[in-house]
Amino acid sequence: MSRNTVQPNGWVAIRLPSEVTRVLQVVPNTTISLGKYGSFPSNLLIERPFHLTYEIQDKLEGESFPRLRVVPGKELNADKLADVSATESADADEVIEPANGEELTLVDESGKVVARSTREVIDESARQTLTMAEIDQLKKEGASAGKELIAKLMLSHTAIDQKTAYSLAKYKLLKEKKYMRRFTVLPLDVAMLGHWMLFERDASKVMEMRQEMIGLLGCWADVHFGGLPIDGEQGPHGGRWLAVDDTGGLLVAAMAERMGILHAEPLEAEETAKQVAEEEENPKTQPANDEAEAEAAESLAVSASPKAQRSRPKRPRKDDLDDHYALTNSITLIHANSQPNLSLLRHFDYDYSDPNPPYPYHPLFTNLLPISWLQLLDPESDPTYSEPVPEVESDVLASWKTNRRANYHRKRRRWARTRQIVDATRTGGFSGLAVASTMDPISVLRHALPLLAGGAPVAIYSPTIEPLTQLADCFSIGRRGAWVSNPPAEAEGKTAVELENWPGTTEFPINPALLIGAQVQTSRARRWQVLPGRTHPFMTERGGASGYVFTGWRAIPAEGNITARGKFNRKKPRTG
Amino acid sequence: MTKPSTFLVPGEKTSAGTLAIISLSRDNFLPLTLEKSTGAVDGYLEGATLNTRFGSYPHSTLLDVPWGSQVRASNVDTGSRGKKRRRDATDEDTPIASQDDDEDSTAANAPVKKAVTAPSGFIYVLRPTPELWTTSLPHRTQVVYTPDYSYILHRIRARPGTRIIEAGAGSGSFTHASVRAVYNGYPRDAADTKGKVFSFEFNESRYHKMQAEIGEHGLDGLVQLTHRDVYNDGFLVDGKSPKATAVFLDVPAPWEAVHHLSRRKMKKGGEEAEEDSNWVSPLDPKQSVHICTFSPCIEQVDRTVTELRTLGWVDVDMVEISNQKINISRERVGVNFPSEKGYNSSPADVAEAVTKLKSLAERNKDTQRVQGLQSGTEGLDSEMDVDSTPSRDNRPSNGLNGTADDAERPFMQGRLVHRPESDLKTHTSYLVFAVLPCEWSEEDEAAAMAKWPCGNEKKTIGNLDKQARKEEKRKMLEGKAKSKKQKKGNDTQPSQVVVSAMATPTDTA
Repeated sequence: MSRNTVQPNGWVAIRLPSEVTRVLQVVPNTTISLGKYGSFPSNLLIERPFHLTYEIQDKLEGESFPRLRVVPGKELNADKLADVSATESADADEVIEPANGEELTLVDESGKVVARSTREVIDESARQTLTMAEIDQLKKEGASAGKELIAKLMLSHTAIDQKTAYSLAKYKLLKEKKYMRRFTVLPLDVAMLGHWMLFERDASKVMEMRQEMIGLLGCWADVHFGGLPIDGEQGPHGGRWLAVDDTGGLLVAAMAERMGILHAEPLEAEETAKQVAEEEENPKTQPANDEAEAEAAESLAVSASPKAQRSRPKRPRKDDLDDHYALTNSITLIHANSQPNLSLLRHFDYDYSDPNPPYPYHPLFTNLLPISWLQLLDPESDPTYSEPVPEVESDVLASWKTNRRANYHRKRRRWARTRQIVDATRTGGFSGLAVASTMDPISVLRHALPLLAGGAPVAIYSPTIEPLTQLADCFSIGRRGAWVSNPPAEAEGKTAVELENWPGTTEFPINPALLIGAQVQTSRARRWQVLPGRTHPFMTERGGASGYVFTGWRAIPAEGNITARGKFNRKKPRTG
Repeated sequence: MTKPSTFLVPGEKTSAGTLAIISLSRDNFLPLTLEKSTGAVDGYLEGATLNTRFGSYPHSTLLDVPWGSQVRASNVDTGSRGKKRRRDATDEDTPIASQDDDEDSTAANAPVKKAVTAPSGFIYVLRPTPELWTTSLPHRTQVVYTPDYSYILHRIRARPGTRIIEAGAGSGSFTHASVRAVYNGYPRDAADTKGKVFSFEFNESRYHKMQAEIGEHGLDGLVQLTHRDVYNDGFLVDGKSPKATAVFLDVPAPWEAVHHLSRRKMKKGGEEAEEDSNWVSPLDPKQSVHICTFSPCIEQVDRTVTELRTLGWVDVDMVEISNQKINISRERVGVNFPSEKGYNSSPADVAEAVTKLKSLAERNKDTQRVQGLQSGTEGLDSEMDVDSTPSRDNRPSNGLNGTADDAERPFMQGRLVHRPESDLKTHTSYLVFAVLPCEWSEEDEAAAMAKWPCGNEKKTIGNLDKQARKEEKRKMLEGKAKSKKQKKGNDTQPSQVVVSAMATPTDTA
């Protein structure tokens, strides 16, 4: 059930009142600290559902940790529902009563009492009469999750009576953002990760790819579940997508999410428990370093021991040279380095760099096929592909040391896997292409277009428009027309297949007949504040790249000369 | 089970009985169900034929070709067929497959005539996708276009296996897009739970059209369409819960319907209704539910948001998508360009303008000298009277600023420019998003608490103040010393290796 509850050692996003998002791994038996908003034990989150908002409560007597209170949605929304423009804004029973019996008074616009205080104005010049030391003291007390502090702050504000209802509401919101000890637990999915990378991490690492763009790219490349493998089919079939990704894996993650291969299949509840128990025993993931820890681990292990005795699902034994990758519903990633950069995928529990992960495989382990441009275009010069590891007799092998033997198997497996990827990719027939790359899209398309099946959609993202205008210009009407009516000398007498792999000239960087419907678009979401009587677009938003998407479809041109029909040359230019 | 939909499993080639999208020209797409004819159809000897202003295309030429193929027009006798039919039949508006005509029946028995390729005209046969369908579908209501639905489906987490409620099927654009998003295989039988779209439509004629479309597109089993007034009757299908985790409401008054989408029986306005043991929630009880409503007016948004907040939905967010298609062309400015459409023969830069003016001035001088010579005596005075502006027909001829680059092909000339297309969609609708977390009771909490007891925290993730950091460091050093000791003592106590590795990724400050 990985989707609806927080998993031990699973990744989550935590949203703070200040709208800041923290991404972290919920390791059991640790304390999660949210800075000034407080800290709490991680175990209080595990196996609780997502999207709940918690309030960090005061420590109970005799307990070493604070407990959390789930804040119901209605309570969260109360402020946003209150119509501040209405005359009756506060009911008598909403008066904030300070805990330690101080007398306070705060009267709102209509003369209704919001809160009361007898505190005298100390410093006329300062608007906020609470000193920093006093605020710190109140924060330490942390009574009722910061609510009391906020009430006191408002009371001590000398100009509170001069504020309009609107600015009062704003002031309260501002202080809540600063002092409310609340947070919301959100699942870390592609949308969340993209948001976090864009707004709080390094946006350039994901090429400033916004949510709008991720959505458009996925739709225009028609990325969807590509079907289960059909029995008896030997070669690749069904939905296979081609990707070029320089966003550190965000594009691959988005595609995988659309294909249903991003999140590991939820294990049976029983199995999860067992796994947890094993992990508790497993010293590698357990940062235990004193007796209490060991005891805790032990007690857990004991409680789960009947299940733990059953063996883990065994990895199916395969020959080194057996096909490793899925034949359908796969992503083939073309990368420019010897290893693809997929660092963001670790947030989805997939570590690309580990060639031998433990058995319940992540779906991407078999459905993500990385291939370098060298392996694609000139496989013979790639040693991993062209140099098979010679087979060694089993008795010789048995005489080797474990290390050497493991190396031998690893190399053979790597060669076989590379072989499978390269051969399958070069056969072509892909169902679609999605690109988010810093490389020139013209060069990418020149080599990727021939690999696509007829009618397959192409979608290319770029943070700036210039690379895409140049690309679209390669498929301009004039150029397409000239390609047919007045083909370049180099194209004379070439077969259709040869023309598909057109090397490119200055006049025709790509064979323009291979793609139709070239179009460039941009999309932008504008956020609005919706509050009763105060609805308007947000005043500021993140700038930077809006992002552009180029789309089109792979076409299969008819052979021979072909002329269009219809009214084209309506106006012949007059002489002169 | 019948053949899967070409939207989801297109195969490599076109086949009879399936939908294809014909690309006639840029932005001109036509949905077409391909037919295999055994005889003449509708007077066409070649069988079912598509007639366009770009030529005629018998379906036989469109069948069994790879998707994306460019297909040539055929020579089809359209003229005599029209006359013949006008004489004896009145139903001219039935262009496809009506083989029951008396006169046609003789022709229908004859084998299909082989299509003869015409000298000009071509189209492309594209495999259907929700994007193409959206641009080409028969409009019944306002359509949810790709920029909107791509964003919506991403935000409401529609993924393979999701069960999604859609109210207001309308023209079906969102239905097609969402079925692609949630598709993870056709259900094998009634008990098999797969990703599915539960669609509701109030308008009866739209409902029937939509139902027929779902069948034609092979989406039976993936889309369940119900004729329903969701304001009053809610979202259950045959009395059962769809167990949805995503909801899309494209109805005029979403606030009239959202109270049905709750965890317990609710009245409109957020009041809990009286207990009803028969009441079932249409939502998946174990998962958070994402909703999106689609309304063109801000007043609708106001009411929807208020209702959602009253009912306890959280993370309410409203956005508006503005999408621009970009027109990319070449701007050809320069005195050497011909004065044709698509060219601008004014000077491209200051230098060119100066050269042009100089040459004009020179030519004017020449003309005046000639005129002066002709008129003879009053040469000096008349020179002042002559207007020095160049006359229109004195257009600078070739070779002013060097020769125009003859080697450069027209599509390479000029500067590459881009601008938004002339027709902009500046507003489609406001999108309101919200999330409804699942219920979490005291008992659930107690159970989870028992399973994951607290109080044994040893490490801290995230921000630390100075003191805590010092404490941590001290503990770590202590721990190291201890683990060394324990290793000596052949203990199974875990080592400290992983701690640092785990601290790095989590440190998000």
